[in-house]
Amino acid sequence: MRDLKHLYEFENLLQDANNELVRKAKADGGIALGYTCYHIPEVLLNCGNCFSVRLRAPRTGSMDIATYYMSNFLCGYSKAILERAIEGGYNFLNALLASETCSEMNRAAEHFELLDLVPNDKFFLTFLDAPFKIENHTVKHYVKQTRLKILDMLTNVYGVDTSDAALLKAVEEHNEVCRLMTEIGNYRKEDNPRITGYEYHILNLVTYCCPKALILPALRETAEELKTREPDEKKKYRAKIVVVGSEMDDPDFTSLIEDSGALVVADRFCFGALPGRQEIVINPDEDVLTQICLHYLKTSQCPRFMSHAKVQERRDYVKQLVDEYHADGVMYEQLKFCEYWGYERALASYVMSTDYGVPTAAVDRQYTASASGQLRTRVQAFVESLEIKKIQKERQAKENG
Amino acid sequence: MGKLYKEHTALLKHREWRGFKDTMYDYYRWLVTWKDMIVMVLKAPVSTVKGLWKYRWMASYLTTPSFIDRHTMGLRGAHLRIVHLHFNMIVKHATGLINTSFKADEKINPNNKLSKKIVLTDEIIPNEVFSGFPNLKVIPLQTLPIFLSSMVDQQITPPYLEVTESFGVPADVCPLPSAEAGVAIEDDYPQMGCCMIATNMPCDGSIMNSTFLDRRLNLPVHCFNVPLRYNGEDVQEYAVDEIKELIKFVEEQTGEKFDWDVFFGALRNTNKQLEYEIEKWDINKTPYPQMTGAAFWLYRIYYFNLSGGVDERFLKVDKKVNKLMLKAYEKKAPVSKEMRHRAVVWSCPANYYTSFANWLENCWGMNVVMDMETMISYLKFNTEDKEQALADLAKTYQRSIMRKHTKGGYKNVVDELWRIVEEYNADTVIMYDQISCKGMDGLAGIFDDQARERNVNFIWVKQDLMDPRTISRRDMREQVNKYMQTVLQEEPLDPSLVDFEDDLAW
Repeated sequence: MRDLKHLYEFENLLQDANNELVRKAKADGGIALGYTCYHIPEVLLNCGNCFSVRLRAPRTGSMDIATYYMSNFLCGYSKAILERAIEGGYNFLNALLASETCSEMNRAAEHFELLDLVPNDKFFLTFLDAPFKIENHTVKHYVKQTRLKILDMLTNVYGVDTSDAALLKAVEEHNEVCRLMTEIGNYRKEDNPRITGYEYHILNLVTYCCPKALILPALRETAEELKTREPDEKKKYRAKIVVVGSEMDDPDFTSLIEDSGALVVADRFCFGALPGRQEIVINPDEDVLTQICLHYLKTSQCPRFMSHAKVQERRDYVKQLVDEYHADGVMYEQLKFCEYWGYERALASYVMSTDYGVPTAAVDRQYTASASGQLRTRVQAFVESLEIKKIQKERQAKENG
Repeated sequence: MGKLYKEHTALLKHREWRGFKDTMYDYYRWLVTWKDMIVMVLKAPVSTVKGLWKYRWMASYLTTPSFIDRHTMGLRGAHLRIVHLHFNMIVKHATGLINTSFKADEKINPNNKLSKKIVLTDEIIPNEVFSGFPNLKVIPLQTLPIFLSSMVDQQITPPYLEVTESFGVPADVCPLPSAEAGVAIEDDYPQMGCCMIATNMPCDGSIMNSTFLDRRLNLPVHCFNVPLRYNGEDVQEYAVDEIKELIKFVEEQTGEKFDWDVFFGALRNTNKQLEYEIEKWDINKTPYPQMTGAAFWLYRIYYFNLSGGVDERFLKVDKKVNKLMLKAYEKKAPVSKEMRHRAVVWSCPANYYTSFANWLENCWGMNVVMDMETMISYLKFNTEDKEQALADLAKTYQRSIMRKHTKGGYKNVVDELWRIVEEYNADTVIMYDQISCKGMDGLAGIFDDQARERNVNFIWVKQDLMDPRTISRRDMREQVNKYMQTVLQEEPLDPSLVDFEDDLAW
């Protein structure tokens, strides 16, 4: 396949949290708002002259200082964020919108205050209390929390317009990004997809980490380019898989999977597009903020949601993705030391294979996985097992006439 | 005292000689423990024996007298009596729970009526809210199979942890929810109840093991959620709504109506218990503490969660203890042989070594005058106004065991520690490094930084909560020994206790 025109540019944008577009937006008077969790509704951070930056710590090296502060036993993502913050990598932020959704990220965020990490007098840090299930009173609570901890804070500290009109404008822009990403993502359902999992991962990450308005032109062009892109005649993969799991902002992980013979057709992980890049449908007769909040609660696939219905929905959703994207199997990945995904990975991978008949593999990984030979071997073994299953299935079908 | 221990198992060669009066009292209490256990068996002999054969964890309870002995070593006078009274109340209540569980267990007694009257709860939900359903029995699901048994017998948890790890859950998660999930995978929970109340307390691991319990139990489950950022008033409406939803769920599932009068009665009992509790704390702030060590927090968390004002026997014990304590305080009676250091214990203690504080006292003269688990909610309840009572209850639940300090922001655990150190005039902090507790691990460096600024003896003690294979009791002691010998350069109070082997002990 021909290289995507903007791919190199996108890859470069992911080399630094304070990337070229972030710097440009800041220079134009934009307010940079950092966040790390799906429970902070991304679209709210794009009101008025604000723009959201989902925090990553690309090119992470040593995490010695973060390890001193947070021990060896916390996940690499939370420690990498702290390490990068201590290094001054997030000095461009105007605020960090956090939520006590997992203990580890919560503690990482608290260090921004404890160690006074961002040298900006107006910098603020808030923590949102997010519910664990969806019922009328929990939605009400979530709406109240987002109003108090996000919108009111932005208005009070930076004078940001958070009116319904401003929210609707942010939704409109957000929806355009989602439409484009869905359009591009749908190519992954093709028999021989015209886009690789790695390319999609890069595009998707860019939409999380760059100001929306500045990334849209290149994204539109990429969508247009893909309309006529021809896939290679000979398929380069031996099996299609859905990746499900915890926080993942490392495209090299997807690259490693694809170098090992699989093609990632759906990204159901934290920082992925499923969920994350679905349009927010607003009914003009209902409260805007409530509808936005409800969208995030309903689409969230975080294992933190503990009600029976949500647990069941998570499994059904993965099966739905397997069917829609014609995947051969599911790979559950867990960032090492992630408490939520430690349990979810074990039980869900068991349930998917026993109750749903979908082949699964479960792996844990470090925050930066590009050099992991062990992981490569696991993926290769999984691909081989999927191939064997395919052959057995075909043979059985032949025998049954 | 170390000479009393048998090699490897640390079982006593013979009972400790404490002078005639105290030895006789201690022996009498040992007999009372056996009596209570035998009474439990006699109440339902067939069910109990079947339960003993069916469930691996049940055998651990046969070692209860030894468990109590570990916590009374070296105690004399009022302190000995206070600790025995507390433990005996725990035994009395726990035997009742075992009795009810086995009678209602459908694996032992199929189709029994009692089972339908039982509401299963996650053990971490305090009992007050259920006091409004006097016709129902509430069984905290995990308490008997794993939480309590792991304190009595350090050998009981590893098999359950291995089951969970074999299933694919990583070994680095907190071993408490992991072991609870293991019991579910092994199908070692008694089968009973008409519904289950799960909760998001205390932490991420407990949230996640509820999916394992849910799959095993196959009962209607209600998720009772308690806000995390609890210091703010902005979460209180949600917290109260959650309690109302919980009551509604139980009413719907059982057909029972919430009885406000009984509920208020239980809250009044809890208030009274709290008064007694705070008197204990006040005395421990003085140079003459009367109750130090593990019985303090063990009894506190037990009644806080499992009585919830319902069982008035706890109140009677508190009254008796209060009398003994005040009398001893007036006499300025020493709580132990020699109090060299006043210590505060912080973070979650190891279930497999609850008597660690007792060893600190006997070996190094380090008396634990306050600890994190004891300092859970001490808010009083309104007992007349329904809405206010629920609001108070909601705030209490936000400050429950392993929750109050680990959630809601670092100030609740870091700043709170220094407040306690100052209030209790402590010179030493025993800081448990529960290696799998993400909430506490995430503040390790901050604790170190701030301890240095305050110049207190800050002793990290690594432990793995439920898993003695990772860090044994002996390893825990060794960390203190090293600090005392190299940093403080002190001589032990009892050199025979400095190093002994107890890996094979219960």
